[in-house]
Amino acid sequence: MRGLSIAKPLLTLMPALALVPVLIEIIFGFHTGGLNIIYEFITGVFNPSASPDVLKSALKGLETTLSIAIIAWVISLFNGIILGIISSTTFSYVFDTPKIINKSIKQLLAIPRSIHELIWGLVLLQLFGLSPWVAIWAISIPYSSLMARIFSEQIDTFEQKELIAIKQTAAGSIETLITALTPKLIKAIGIYGGYRLECAIRGATILGIFGLGGIGTELQLSIQSLQFKEMWTSLIILGITMITIEKIVEYWQKHYLNQVYLAKYILISIVSITLLVLISIIWLINLESGILDPITYHPIPFPSILDFSTSLEKLDFLKLTFQTINLTMLSAGIAIGVPPILFMFFPGKIGGDAISALLVICRLIPPPLSALIILFCTNPSVSVAALSLGIQNMGIMGRLLKENIGYEENSSFIGISLSGADKKSAWLYGKLSPQANSYLAYSAYRTDVILRETAIVGIVGGAGLGWQLQESLSSFKWAEVILITVLMAFITIIGEFISTQIQSKLIRA
Amino acid sequence: MNLKTKNPLYKLLSALFFASICIVLQGQNIRAQEKLIISAIPDQNPEKLNRLHKILAEELSQKLNVPVKYLPVISYPAAVSAFRTSSIDLVWFGGLTGVQARRQKPGAKVIAQRDIDAKFQSVFIANYKSNIPKIIKVSDLKVLKGKRFTFGSESSTSGRLMPQHYLIKAGVTLKDFKGGSSGFSGSHDATLALVQSGSYEAGVLNKNIWEERLSNGKVDLKKVDVIWETPPYVDYHWLVQPNLDTRFGEGFTKKLKTTILSFNKKSERQKKILELFSAERFVPAHDYQYLIIENIGRKLGKI
Repeated sequence: MRGLSIAKPLLTLMPALALVPVLIEIIFGFHTGGLNIIYEFITGVFNPSASPDVLKSALKGLETTLSIAIIAWVISLFNGIILGIISSTTFSYVFDTPKIINKSIKQLLAIPRSIHELIWGLVLLQLFGLSPWVAIWAISIPYSSLMARIFSEQIDTFEQKELIAIKQTAAGSIETLITALTPKLIKAIGIYGGYRLECAIRGATILGIFGLGGIGTELQLSIQSLQFKEMWTSLIILGITMITIEKIVEYWQKHYLNQVYLAKYILISIVSITLLVLISIIWLINLESGILDPITYHPIPFPSILDFSTSLEKLDFLKLTFQTINLTMLSAGIAIGVPPILFMFFPGKIGGDAISALLVICRLIPPPLSALIILFCTNPSVSVAALSLGIQNMGIMGRLLKENIGYEENSSFIGISLSGADKKSAWLYGKLSPQANSYLAYSAYRTDVILRETAIVGIVGGAGLGWQLQESLSSFKWAEVILITVLMAFITIIGEFISTQIQSKLIRA
Repeated sequence: MNLKTKNPLYKLLSALFFASICIVLQGQNIRAQEKLIISAIPDQNPEKLNRLHKILAEELSQKLNVPVKYLPVISYPAAVSAFRTSSIDLVWFGGLTGVQARRQKPGAKVIAQRDIDAKFQSVFIANYKSNIPKIIKVSDLKVLKGKRFTFGSESSTSGRLMPQHYLIKAGVTLKDFKGGSSGFSGSHDATLALVQSGSYEAGVLNKNIWEERLSNGKVDLKKVDVIWETPPYVDYHWLVQPNLDTRFGEGFTKKLKTTILSFNKKSERQKKILELFSAERFVPAHDYQYLIIENIGRKLGKI
């Protein structure tokens, strides 16, 4: 028993071992040929472009990005709650529906989740043309199912006893569900839902493919043409926005999440969310984005069996799968393992703040940019891609870890410190240990996200399913697109199965 | 009541409500109006791109007497899809993407290209440390086997399609490069910078952009130089939707074509447009010129 409780916090640190091969390969390929560009990149932050044209278009871009992100976020939140409830085991218990239905909904939801919003965007664009609504759905589809997964798992962690008790008072099924779940579900939505808004803003960087512009478009174009001063202007504006939103969400969580009047809280949330959506829509109308224009459907012929068999012959699925899993595992290792190590070595207030600032920067820099910058001083390899994906996701994991530890009571940390342990072990056993289960559970969702994101780092050499998917899409080979999509969903489902097994073992331990 | 006004949440709510009213009042009545939507494949820096299209939209709007709007669609396949679904009317496509768009939208018309597009070229470049010798004939490209090599964007004609075509002629497939695959840097500028830094030993880009960067002093010839120029091929062109005449009136497509072809350096605005496109003038272009691109595209599995 004791041995296991020691092992748990260590288990969260172990994935950081992925850094070893990654750093070895990067250091091995190190060269100084691109130092001048890295110098330009770094000095650009102190000297961002302040030309009125650049500023004006960045700010206009921000308006578009924010409005689309807010609408997409609200749609995902709504879908996520409904789908999350339907696919939970608790739902089938309360309504006596066959478990197989919930399970299959849960598995089916892996398909939208396993595909990057950029890929959704390109597919939907081919079918429905340019429209802000198509962009909104491209973001909402993967986000809805990601939230559904988180919510359904949160629902299923509730005490069954409570449910049985409520059910035995002969209340109706719907009442049972509402009475039992609402308070806790609201809390889960408050924590994860708020955080997804920030993700939606990052996701809204795909708006460029819809001709909507947006700050992500400014960013992508300036990265492509290596205009670092202009790039920093967009990046700084984006950074300030994300920090502001983070603070608002934090304030909201702190002051209103735990308040006694739940009904009032829900009412206020609904009213403010409705207002936000209204403002966003009006904003988009003013920007002449075509949000009120009708959407038309332009069907494409379904690929023939011959197309499928040619694709099966042409693509080496085994190799592509291996490359994808390899890249995902390396990046996930960095993203999961590094934040607890950082916090362990700098447990104090100042250290913690410094790490938080570092994590903000990690979250802010999009993987294609970090891959490009790393690539200027080392040779191309999968490690470059792994590190750049790892860095951004590390920023996200670190933030969640810090938030969860912040909610934790300090008693066990103080207790262990008083018993004479050094600060590092006190942090490890007093602070990280109680959080290890939920941190590891969240790590599983993050790994899903990383799998999707492998699509966007072709710069280090076209490899893996994600890159192949982009290549097939840009060649309009729909049979290949369908096959790769199915395979990625399959990998996601297997990954989830494994992580559920590990988690249930951990909980039992 | 007193309690309510003290709560910051109510303040927040009233602020949001107030903001929405302001925006409604500010909003103009925007009516659906038949607009000519123009777009372009991006391979320029954003400042230039935004400037370029603002001027171009103004000029076309004035000459054709219709409202013109520019939509920045910043991905190659997205621009093709948007053309297929009739979301954009007049598009500056690359050779390959233009062919892809025409195949998905039968009846679309090629109307013009730049003077330089009929004889466009790509340049293979190498870092001096790689010791790759100058290449004299196509078959010599096989010296690139086992090297770290990068293309530009996946769907770029000058940054990928034509170079890959010549590589295949020399017996070099993507698997022959170091690491079992080539890189896709995403843009001509990134290719140049990555080869100059030495991360990639060799790469290939649009000759036009290479020459521009050379004259701007962005190229360090001590580190990177051209090892081979491809034979000329056709590239960029203006493509229009087949239904412009029914939407904007009989003869509109022809008028549009004449307008673009008439751009010259005497008019201040037209001079700027031509400069930003790195062209002396626009010349007529035809579907059949792009048959060769279509064949190569099909061979390489891009069509």
